[in-house]
Amino acid sequence: MSKQPHVRRRYWNEPSMGWWERAYVFEVGRGLGITGGVFLRNMWKWITGRKGALTTYYPEEKRADYAPANRGKHLLTQRPDGRPQCVACNMCATVCPAQCIEIDAAFDPDDASHPKYPARFEIDYSRCVFCGLCVEACPEDAIRMAPETPDLPGFDRDRMWVGRDELLSWNPQRDVAKPYPVARDAGPPR
Amino acid sequence: MPEILINGQKFEAEAGQTVLEAARAAGIFVPTFCWHPQLSTAGNCRMCLVEVEGRGLDIACNMPVSAGMRVLTDSPEVRAHRRAILQFITLNHPVDCGICDKAGECSLQDYHYAYNGEASISAEPKVRSTKYYNLSSRILLDNERCILCLRCTRFTHEISKSMALGVESRGDVSVIRPVADRPLGDDPYSDNIVDLCPVGALQSRQFLHKTRVWYLEPTPSVCPGCARGCSVNIWHRKPEWHVKTLDPAQNQSIARVTPLENPAVNGPWICNKGRDLARIFERRRATEPMLQGSPVALETALERARELIGAARHPLALVSNWGSNEELDAFQRSLGAVFTAYVKSDSVPQPGERLEDELLIRADKNPNSAAARALYADAPARLPEGTDLVLVWGEGCDFGALPRGARLIFLNAYLAPENGHADVFLPTSVQTERDGHYTNFQGVISGFHACFAKPSGALDAEALFRSLAAPARVHA
Repeated sequence: MSKQPHVRRRYWNEPSMGWWERAYVFEVGRGLGITGGVFLRNMWKWITGRKGALTTYYPEEKRADYAPANRGKHLLTQRPDGRPQCVACNMCATVCPAQCIEIDAAFDPDDASHPKYPARFEIDYSRCVFCGLCVEACPEDAIRMAPETPDLPGFDRDRMWVGRDELLSWNPQRDVAKPYPVARDAGPPR
Repeated sequence: MPEILINGQKFEAEAGQTVLEAARAAGIFVPTFCWHPQLSTAGNCRMCLVEVEGRGLDIACNMPVSAGMRVLTDSPEVRAHRRAILQFITLNHPVDCGICDKAGECSLQDYHYAYNGEASISAEPKVRSTKYYNLSSRILLDNERCILCLRCTRFTHEISKSMALGVESRGDVSVIRPVADRPLGDDPYSDNIVDLCPVGALQSRQFLHKTRVWYLEPTPSVCPGCARGCSVNIWHRKPEWHVKTLDPAQNQSIARVTPLENPAVNGPWICNKGRDLARIFERRRATEPMLQGSPVALETALERARELIGAARHPLALVSNWGSNEELDAFQRSLGAVFTAYVKSDSVPQPGERLEDELLIRADKNPNSAAARALYADAPARLPEGTDLVLVWGEGCDFGALPRGARLIFLNAYLAPENGHADVFLPTSVQTERDGHYTNFQGVISGFHACFAKPSGALDAEALFRSLAAPARVHA
């Protein structure tokens, strides 16, 4: 098989250079001028006590203008008594495309209307892709996503797991969309 | 041989067969809840309704074939009735699949999606019943999920013969209950009813909320609990679902054990001991070769063992009857000429354990005695005097009865105080970490496969015997 010579693909918006651009120095100088101008203007504003650039000084400073529908950190919703709404059914963990949710279920026969609950509920933010499928899969409205981002910065990927208590303590939501059935007395387990 | 038509196709049925059996034999699936090939026909779930042209609808499980019968298993009328029956069965079913351990392998779930697919049309409140009824220390009963197919009661009446379960009350308040003076806990086959239950009403306490079934995969194996050698499936986490932050032991542990149907050995049943294989295999493991209690490198330990074997005049070996056919063969080929070998019983019946019955359980609580005894005789009560080296392979050795002054090479998989007393101690792998075969007492050979990786340091006995015979390198 004969080897085809490589032909560079031509694009419709191929840049063309005149003699001015080919001279190189002038255009480079102009670019430096733009960058330096913005830098000096921002620095002047900074020195005089006004904020110039749009840069947010994360993580000390967080932007406040996330859209209400932004998919940020996860929340585990709470029942009126503060315990998690989650029934540890693992739908979120199963649907998660990043497989970053791990749940340890526990059994409480005394709580007849909610016998299965998560003893541990872990999300790995080093792998989460913030797709929101966990929220859609949840049959109990137990997991939601707040617009704010989680505290992502860290020095170790393996330590970006966030556990049940932290997920619950984040801005507890008491207005669950699916009201939980009133606890009924099934009698003590015999 | 009556010839019948199922869905317009001609099939040869056997005389005395039911339409359901004929259809299944022909590869036509008819859904069932209460019918089970090993149990008597109850005909109470009505799920297997089929249409016989000219005769209308009837249940296939209780309809004998007759020549020229024209059966329809998927006519519009059958489909409409199946939908109605599923509506009826889910009238009082709580549909709490999210917290039900059966979800993922539940007939009711499967049939609902295959034949019904719509939510309950009933506006009545569901009948409330007992949620967690203690049937025994192993099994919980959820009466709300129960669809009263009576497979469990028929199992205790016909297969395990413990007669431990019955039905109490009538109508929509009827519930499965244990019979007063026949505790289900005394039935050594009780856990089979958990598998038999077509819904999640009977739950194994061992497996309760442990994990979801779709995270698990089965590996075919053989139960080492007795000489029957029942075929089992050992369920463990799929590699793609290994946990990363939860307890890593979950990735390497037996989630549950279920029977693997094998008509030659156990049929579709196993006993409760087979469900508890984790208790055998998940004891603390020995992982370091030792010389008189001090850990050494593997090469050093093997070198010392070879020295002892070379210097011995009357070496004696106690061979494990938990060794696979392959391991016994490796021992015979590598060391059989050097050692006078006897078969040692690794395991003896525990107090309270059922010794023997006519269904499955055998008195010999070791899996491979048949193959071991084909090679060597049973160990005599008094081992011959003058023995100067004993190789003990596996557990269950009475070290006090060994000849005095004899050197000891000990192969064991588990941590034990005796490990430190041996002149040479070598850690071995367990059944769930290697492939092999056992020969049961009837001579049926069944194979098992590795589920987990060996812990670092443990070695397959097969490789150990070869390297003890010849100074070749073995890799842990």
